[in-house]
Amino acid sequence: MKVRDSSELARQFGAIVGDAHVRAPREHESRAASIVAEPRDADEVTELVRKCEADSIALAPMGAARTLAQIRPTPVAIGISLTRMNRVIAYEPDDMTVIAEAGLTLGALNDLISARAQRLPVDPPHPDRVTLGALVAAAHAGPLRLSEGTVRDLLIGVRFVGHEARLIHGGGRVVKNVAGYDLMKVMTGSFGTLGIITETTFKVRPIPARYTIASAAFRDAETAFAAATRLHDAIPLIHLEVVSEAVASTLGFSGSPHVIAGFGGNAHEVAFLQTQVKEILGPQSDLAVDAEASAANERLRDFDAHDAPLVAQIAVPPAELAPCLLQCRAEYRAHAGCGVAQISLASIAGAEDLQWTVTRWREIAHGGRGHLRVLRVADEFHNSVRMFDDPPKPALELMHRLKAAFDPRGMFNPGCFVGGL
Amino acid sequence: MFQFAAAEESGAQNRLHLFRQPAQRSVWQIHETDPNSIRLLDVFGIRATLRAVTNASHSPVDASLIAELREMIGDDGMVLRATELKVYECDGWTMEKSSPEILLRPRNTAEVSAILKLLHRRSIAFVPRGAGTGLSGGCLPLGAPVMICTSRMNRIVQVDYASRRIDVESGVVNLHVTNAVKARGMVYAPDPSSQVACTIGGNIAENSGGPHTLKYGVTTNHVLGVEIVLPDGEIVELGGATEECCGYDLVGAIVGSEGTTGIVTRAMLKLTREPEGHRTLLAIFADVDNATRAVSAIIAAGIIPGAIEMMDQMIIRAVEAAFHAGLPEDAGAVLIIELDGIAAGLDDHARIVTELVRAAGANEVRLARDEAERTILWKARKRAFGAVGRLAPNYATQDGVVPRTRLPDILRAIIEISHRRNLRIGNVFHAGDGNIHPIVLYDERDADETNRAIEAGRDILKACVEMGGSLTGEHGIGVEKMAEMPLIFSPDDLIVMSELRRVFDPDQLANPNKIIPVPGACVEVAAPRRQVAL
Repeated sequence: MKVRDSSELARQFGAIVGDAHVRAPREHESRAASIVAEPRDADEVTELVRKCEADSIALAPMGAARTLAQIRPTPVAIGISLTRMNRVIAYEPDDMTVIAEAGLTLGALNDLISARAQRLPVDPPHPDRVTLGALVAAAHAGPLRLSEGTVRDLLIGVRFVGHEARLIHGGGRVVKNVAGYDLMKVMTGSFGTLGIITETTFKVRPIPARYTIASAAFRDAETAFAAATRLHDAIPLIHLEVVSEAVASTLGFSGSPHVIAGFGGNAHEVAFLQTQVKEILGPQSDLAVDAEASAANERLRDFDAHDAPLVAQIAVPPAELAPCLLQCRAEYRAHAGCGVAQISLASIAGAEDLQWTVTRWREIAHGGRGHLRVLRVADEFHNSVRMFDDPPKPALELMHRLKAAFDPRGMFNPGCFVGGL
Repeated sequence: MFQFAAAEESGAQNRLHLFRQPAQRSVWQIHETDPNSIRLLDVFGIRATLRAVTNASHSPVDASLIAELREMIGDDGMVLRATELKVYECDGWTMEKSSPEILLRPRNTAEVSAILKLLHRRSIAFVPRGAGTGLSGGCLPLGAPVMICTSRMNRIVQVDYASRRIDVESGVVNLHVTNAVKARGMVYAPDPSSQVACTIGGNIAENSGGPHTLKYGVTTNHVLGVEIVLPDGEIVELGGATEECCGYDLVGAIVGSEGTTGIVTRAMLKLTREPEGHRTLLAIFADVDNATRAVSAIIAAGIIPGAIEMMDQMIIRAVEAAFHAGLPEDAGAVLIIELDGIAAGLDDHARIVTELVRAAGANEVRLARDEAERTILWKARKRAFGAVGRLAPNYATQDGVVPRTRLPDILRAIIEISHRRNLRIGNVFHAGDGNIHPIVLYDERDADETNRAIEAGRDILKACVEMGGSLTGEHGIGVEKMAEMPLIFSPDDLIVMSELRRVFDPDQLANPNKIIPVPGACVEVAAPRRQVAL
C-alpha cells in the first residue's frame, strides 16, 4: 500500500461525512488509526467502506481503540468512530429486548434501561468507555459472566457493513431465533476484522431486587480457591471472584487473597443465601448489601490493573484455574467458576523479561488445556510480544478462509488478530 | 415470492435457480424459462448457465463406491435395501419425502473422515442424520444420495464435574446426557420435547431449544467445543473446555448450521447445576387472549421462570384423551409455569406469579403438590404433539417467533387464518420466549386440504414476520422454510450466509439445497421429491 498524504485522505473522507467529522486521533487512538472519521449513520459507513475498498485503504472501528492500540502493530489509515451513532432504536421493556446503534456506550444504555429495573448484564471495566460495537467486537466481559453468560449469549441481532460496502444483518429482535446462519457469533470477538458493526440487538435481564456482596480474606490462594469452589457448588451466585493480595488491597480490602461473591433475589432468598455464605466463607466474612454492595461491585468491575506493565487473560477449564494461577506467580483477578482470570505483573525488567514471562504463562495455560491472551503491555513494550494465542492449525486454516470470504481485499483491521489475520 | 418447498414435481430432474431482479434488490422472483418447470434461482442476479441435465439412471452410488464403503465400515455399517431406506425418507417434517440411496452408520470419527474423503474425491453429496426428529426437513436428502447417521457414535467420553463439562460423541441421545450426571445434581439444560430420542449432534445442527430455554438458553449457549469432520474429510477441533475462544467463534457458526458445515462427531458441553427446588403452576384461562397477556405480565414483573408453556383448548382435549393428566377440558387455554431456584424464595415467587396471572384473568391457579404431579404436567406437555395424532390423520407443526408482547396478536391472527383456510389449528408452545408452535391438522388424502395446510403455515410465518418476529425459533429452516427466508433477509444477507457456509464446505457437499438456495449454480435434485398426496 502506498504512503498516503493524511490531509488528502482527510479531504476525501470529509467529502463523505463532512469536514467537521474528520479529525486527528486522540490519545490512545493514535496507535490505532492515522485519522478518524465520524459517520452519522450506516449509509455513511457504507460510503466510507466503499471508498476504502476502492482505494485499498485499511480501516478499523474505533470503539475498541484502546484494544486496537495494544494489538495493532501499526495504525490503520482510517479509524471509523461511531460516537455519533449512539441512538437507541427500540427498547421494549416488556419483551426485554433493546436495539441500539453500535456507538452507544454500555454505560449509557444501562443508565437508560435501569429505570425499568433491567440491564444488559455484561460488566467489563468502565462501561462508559465501552461502546456496544466494541463490546461485541472485542467480546468484553466481567464478573457477571458466571450467571448471565457473555455477549455471545445476549446478542440476538447484528448489522454490519462488510466488504463491497454491503450492509448485512443477522438474527432479529426476538429472543429465540434459528433462522439463517448465526452471524452474531461470527461477529462476536472478531476484533473489527470482518466488518464495521453498526447496530446491535440484545436481550436484557431484570436487575435482582436485592443484591449482596460477601467478601472474605484467606491466608493463601489455595484456601481461597477451595472456599470459592465450596460456595459455587452450594448455592447459585451472581458472580464469584478470587483476587490476589495486591488486587484485594487495590479494591480496599486487607492485604491477603480474598473471595468476593455476589448473590441476590427476593428478600427470603437473600436472607437464606446470607446464612449459607457466612457458613461457607466463615465468620471472618463481611456482607455488604444493596447500595453498599453496588458500590463494591463497581470497584470490582472496574479493576483493570491499569498501571501494570503487563496484563493478560488466561482461560482454562474452571477446575484448572487455581493450579494455573498458582504457577503463574502473578497478581490475579479470577472469575472463579468460569475458568477465566486477568493476571498482571507490577514490574517488568525489560522486553526480554516480558517475553519470557508471556511464554511461561502461555505454557501454563496450554498445560491447563486453555490459552492466554495478552491484554496490555506498557508503551515501551509495544509490539514486543504476540498478543493472541494461535489456534491449532486446522482451526486457523478455517479462520483464514473465513477472513478471505468476509474480507477478500484485507481492508478490515488487517494483520493484528490470531495468526496474523 | 418464489416458491421452493411447494414446487410441483414431475418426477423428472428439477433444476433450481433463484433469480433476482437487479433493479429491485429486495424482490425475489421465480423466473421460469423452461417448460419443464425449471426454476431459476440465482442470488447473484446473474443467470447461471444451465448445465446439461444428468441422466437420473446414472447414480453416483455405483457398485465400486459401495465396495469401497463396505471395505471401510463393513456390511453392518450400511443400509442399501430400498425397503429399509424408506425409514429414512423424511424426518418430523413429513410433507416431503425422499429416500437416500444408501445409509451409512459409522462407528467413530476416523470412519466418518474416511467416508467423507471418499465422497469428496467423487464429488458426492451427503446428508448427516441424528435421530431424524427434526421438524423442518433438515435431513431430507435433496440431491444428496448418501445419508450418514451418527447413531452408533453414542459414547459419553468423559465427565468433568469439577469444571461442569461433559465430552460426548454426537450420536448420544439428549436425555442420556442428563441421565449420566443427574445423580451428581447436574443437568444438560437444553431439553427439546423429543429429548428421549434426539441426539446431541442433531441438537447442534438445529440449535435446538425446549421449554426450559427461557431461563437457561438454547443449545448454542451450552456448546463450548466441537470436533467436526469437514466435507473434505479433514478432522478439525474447534473451541474446547474453556469459555473464551481463541480466534473466531467457529463453534458458534457451526451450531445451528443445519448439517451444512460437515459432520460434528464430538462435542464439549456445559453442565448446569439442577435448581434446588421447583414450583410448577397450572393457570387456567377462559381464552388464549388472557393467557398470553399473563405471560407478558410475568416477564414484565422481572421474574424469569424456568419455563412458561401454553396449550389451547384443542391441545388440552387431545392431551386429556391421551394421558388423563387432569387438565380442565372446558378451559380455553392453560399455562404451565415452572419457577425454579433457591427453595427459600420459591413460595414468594409463586405467590407473586399467582397474583399476576389472576389479575390477567386466570380463573384458577393450581400448584403441583409434589414431584409426581409435576411429572404428569410435563409429560402432558412434552407429549402433546403425539396426542394430536388422535385428532386428524395428519398434522404439521409450525414454528415461529414473535416478540413476547405480540403473543395475543399472533394468536388472533392464527384463529383468523384457521377460519380463512378452513382448517383446525391447535396451539402448544413456549410462551415465555414468544416461540409459537401452531399445529395444523389436515388429511393428506385430500390434496386441496394439504395445500391449504401448507398455505396456512406460510400465512402464520408471514404474520410472525410482520409482527417483528422470525421464521423459526428452534426447528430450523431446512427445506420447509427456504422460500420464506427473503421475508427476513435481504439478498446480500443471504449471499454472506452462503459465503460463510462455503468456508466449511466450498464444494457444497454437506446437506446441499438447504437453508438458502445455492448461489450461482443450478442444483439437480437427483431423487425426485414428492409431496405427500400432491
